[in-house]
Amino acid sequence: MESDLILEVKNISVEVDHETILKNVSFEVRRGEALAIIGPNGAGKTMLFRALLGLVSHTGELDWKKGIQIGYVPQKFVIDKSFPLTVREFFLLKSPRFWMPDKGFIAHLEHELSLVGLGKEILSRPLGELSGGQMQRILISSAMLNHPDVLLFDEPTAGIDVGAEQTIYTILHTLQKERGTTVLLISHDLNVVYKYADNVLCINKAMICHGRPKEILNPQELSRLYGGGGFYHHPVEEKI
Amino acid sequence: MITFDIQTLIIALVIGAASGAVGAFIILRRMALVGDALSHVALPGIALALAYHFDPFWGVVAFCLAAAVVVWALEEKTRLYSDALIGLLFTFNLAIGVLTIPDTEILESLFGAFTPLTSPEFFFISIAGAAAIALIFLYAKHFLFLIVSPELASIKAPRKSRLHGLLLMVLFAFIVALGIKLVGTLLMGALTIIPATISKNISRSMSGYIVMSAVLGALISLAGVFAAGMLHFLPGPTIIILGIALFGISLFFTRKFQ
Repeated sequence: MESDLILEVKNISVEVDHETILKNVSFEVRRGEALAIIGPNGAGKTMLFRALLGLVSHTGELDWKKGIQIGYVPQKFVIDKSFPLTVREFFLLKSPRFWMPDKGFIAHLEHELSLVGLGKEILSRPLGELSGGQMQRILISSAMLNHPDVLLFDEPTAGIDVGAEQTIYTILHTLQKERGTTVLLISHDLNVVYKYADNVLCINKAMICHGRPKEILNPQELSRLYGGGGFYHHPVEEKI
Repeated sequence: MITFDIQTLIIALVIGAASGAVGAFIILRRMALVGDALSHVALPGIALALAYHFDPFWGVVAFCLAAAVVVWALEEKTRLYSDALIGLLFTFNLAIGVLTIPDTEILESLFGAFTPLTSPEFFFISIAGAAAIALIFLYAKHFLFLIVSPELASIKAPRKSRLHGLLLMVLFAFIVALGIKLVGTLLMGALTIIPATISKNISRSMSGYIVMSAVLGALISLAGVFAAGMLHFLPGPTIIILGIALFGISLFFTRKFQ
């Protein structure tokens, strides 16, 4: 089982301007696992992702298995409507060649788009003119383009409608099952956590709990995490 | 009949194209006025060169490159927005320049007068300008990624991504330094902005935008040099006025957004 470990985090802490954002968080992630990270606003969830991606400095141990490829779908991705970048060119930022890409890359791109339910006609559209749902799918597709071992999703359905949200999770789940991709997911929606996650990590600056959703997501732990008197989603019975 | 020497035209072509190419990224990075700050840093360089009797061109290049590193480092290290940093650098260097440059030289320094270049200067500007254009196209993908999403561009290689940011700033400063001889310190920043803003008005794709910006930069500079020669104007202001006129025309062809 040891060889299945792809991420080990021991006592990781992050400080920004002498303010502690995360303190002594420890967990492990195994290949193929879906780990949900939950916590109230300002709990340090996004900062944890930034530390995992090497974007902020931290103390403590953080070891990715050697050679692991990471895909990332950020919480915020804003692009001006007038920004002259087509969807095709956005993907070409990940291609070895921007100016004269080879045909194989474009064919691969069209296949990847079909997996998130988009047709190749979207490639010629300006990125800034896409709807929220289309943008999410493009970001997922871009993150999955080079078939990463791990995907980090930061609240991937923020700002899109319920129908599109369901579609996003279905796509995520399909990709995870078909490719065995490990998924780390930040979510506010406990329904999603029950439905898709193997394990859940609860943080509120410090680590509150870590384990299987059914075992640890009880009223006591949720009260510790979010404070008393909160409203929680009813858990969906079965994990699909 | 007015004659134009081939040297002037080659410099206008190379500097115009390089300004247009680098300006394409600078506009998208919302650093349009950094060119003004960088070009004004040239003034103390000119003053130093005049005081110590060496060619002001090299003083300009050295000061602009140093300023690029300073702007980049300050942006990395401080929480100040780049426009505040630019406000500081711009006025500080203008003040030093006006105090230290002799009155007879100040007009040429500010507005550019195309005095004949020495042979080493001509070859240096032409070759270095062409090399800068090549580097911009070669690294376009990295510069662009940094602009579209610094976060995504930095994943697992934040150091490399920061170096791409530095390279863009250094290329920008270098092109500004090369162009000061053509349009002067006061107007060089505008030569990097105008072609890109026209191109952005009418482009739908990034590749079209960058290429068109470089081509427009070259055409505006060449046309400006021709017009200045015919009307006995300074080339710098002529180039800029011509560019602004073209920008006005481009407004009629601005693409509509959904």
